[in-house]
Amino acid sequence: MRRSLSFGSVSAGRLTGGALLRQVALLALLIVTAGFWIYFSVAASGFTSDFNLFSLLRFAAIQITIGFAQMVALSIGDLNLAVGAIGGATGMIAGWAMQILGLPPEVAVLFALAAGTLLGFGNALLITWTRINSFIVTLATASLITGAMLILTHSDPFSRLPDSFTSFSETEVAGLPISNLVLVMLAVGVALFFLYRNLSLGREMLAVGANRRAARMSGLSVDRVVLLTHGLSGALAATAGLMAIAADHTASPSLGSDWLLASFVAPAIGGTLLSGGLVSVAGTIVGGVLLATISNGLLLVGIDNFWITVFLGVVLLLAVVLDRVTRAAGGAVP
Amino acid sequence: MTRLRSLAPGVALGLLLIDVVGMLVLSVVRPQFLSTYNLFVTGRDLSILLLVALAQMVVLSLGQMNLSIGSIGGLVAIIESGLMVRYGVPVPVALATGLVLGIVCGVINGLLVYWTKINSFVLTLGTSYVFAGINLGITHATPFYHIPNEISSFGQARVGPFPLMAAVTIVLTLLLAGFLYQVVLGRQLLAAGGNPLAARLSGLPIRRTTLTAHAISGFLAAVAGTMLMAQLGQGQPTIGATWVLPSFAGPIIGGASLAGGSAPVLGTVLAMVLISLIDDGLVLVSADPFWVQFLIGALILGAVVLGRTRLSDIRAFLRISTTRLGGTTR
Repeated sequence: MRRSLSFGSVSAGRLTGGALLRQVALLALLIVTAGFWIYFSVAASGFTSDFNLFSLLRFAAIQITIGFAQMVALSIGDLNLAVGAIGGATGMIAGWAMQILGLPPEVAVLFALAAGTLLGFGNALLITWTRINSFIVTLATASLITGAMLILTHSDPFSRLPDSFTSFSETEVAGLPISNLVLVMLAVGVALFFLYRNLSLGREMLAVGANRRAARMSGLSVDRVVLLTHGLSGALAATAGLMAIAADHTASPSLGSDWLLASFVAPAIGGTLLSGGLVSVAGTIVGGVLLATISNGLLLVGIDNFWITVFLGVVLLLAVVLDRVTRAAGGAVP
Repeated sequence: MTRLRSLAPGVALGLLLIDVVGMLVLSVVRPQFLSTYNLFVTGRDLSILLLVALAQMVVLSLGQMNLSIGSIGGLVAIIESGLMVRYGVPVPVALATGLVLGIVCGVINGLLVYWTKINSFVLTLGTSYVFAGINLGITHATPFYHIPNEISSFGQARVGPFPLMAAVTIVLTLLLAGFLYQVVLGRQLLAAGGNPLAARLSGLPIRRTTLTAHAISGFLAAVAGTMLMAQLGQGQPTIGATWVLPSFAGPIIGGASLAGGSAPVLGTVLAMVLISLIDDGLVLVSADPFWVQFLIGALILGAVVLGRTRLSDIRAFLRISTTRLGGTTR
């Protein structure tokens, strides 16, 4: 299996004309994002203020991490509709651990990450044992997890989180308007890039995504890959949940309920294939930044928050349709 | 097709049994279950959610899905109530506009799926946000109050414990079953879902079946949205916001396959009866309402796990019986 040379995107397949096209697509995405930044800097007063850039980038960091959680599941050709449910439930677990149990933030974070991983393992076990489509399994577990969380918490938020935890998201990096959470997201991104580019597990995940049957027949333990992938997806959803409660200063039971669109938009714009076998870490990052830029900028220009939803839906549709067109033009058969 | 004919009665029979036992248990444990008002309220919720489930079933039978059912229902309710309340449009005109809008939304989904050949999941996820966003952009999340009396009184109308709305649902369910099982286009739709490649090679009208399935889905979503508007007595922007889970729960528990080719109308009906029983039972024992979400999730998992074992058993059984008869199974 040869490594694709295109920057940022890693695929299981051979290097084809598609790889070059994908690089062009990523470049185009960067240009579009830069175009929006220039437009909003001129048109929206306050867009370039330190305060706005700080909250924009922090919001982007959370959206991107949500996108990573979905991207990992997509890489093996699965879906994880429980990303929001896991993120919300683990956020609540962390809030409970800090506020009620009085555990130090570090321990609460580990606790939440472990819970996210376990919930992801649960998804994987149901998928591999029953051979049921990941769509149905995660639709059902999302409902189970959110239901259990609401029953246990009586839908009460944890709003007295320790300062040492919440201040983490407020700290600026080296005097720049960049939250620590952006660094967390970048660290996760680098780790994921390394996983898919250099580690055999990452390559196996892409192989399973590209052709599960072929992967099984060539001796790969597909069940093991599915288990680790969903565990990772759960851990990433938990990471996003932790970032969100740190930024919001509260663990709210509605956390994660609106993550579904975001989880697909960032990877889809960035060129991750929804059918599996090809991911783009850099694309997901740029996609998430574009998503956050549009949401933030349109609001500043005075466009109603409600219409932004329409815009994001259209962006998702355009991204998948354009992806289809580029792939058809590139002749790549993923 | 053999699968459809042979498996559906098994699932339906099991569900029927569970439904009957559930009703008996509920009426013994909580006698107020049988009160006229309770039966009316439960039957009314069932009438609406069954249409939601059938809207999903019809696209599932094609091997596709529609995540925008709830946002179509919400948008239709908002447009109808807006036309009536804000612009004084006569009731029949407003309702007709809403139902046509539902069909148009469905056709848009169908055209997108047909033209781009992209996974219907992600396409209808995109359109669902577009439809929901238009709804919120128009209403700013504020309902249209005071819809005409004819509509809201229809939402409360009943004959004994029998909600008048149920008549609409029963007629539509029978029409849908007749269409899928008796009409050529309906049969073609199931065939296309069962094996898209064979369907294409044998010259089935793929474009027509895709558009028809999505149009029906949009229409049923629109009727469900209209009925919920009548029940609530106002055009609530949140109509449909919670329909994703029940829309899949009904057909999947009822025996539908995500791969397409099966349209278990009876199974879907019985599955929705079960969900209504659970919903009502939890209200009657005054349990935490969040249990509904938890139990529906558990029910979906339980049903598909059971369905798996049953499917293989039945397949094995069929293989024996049909080879003896000299027939073949897929």
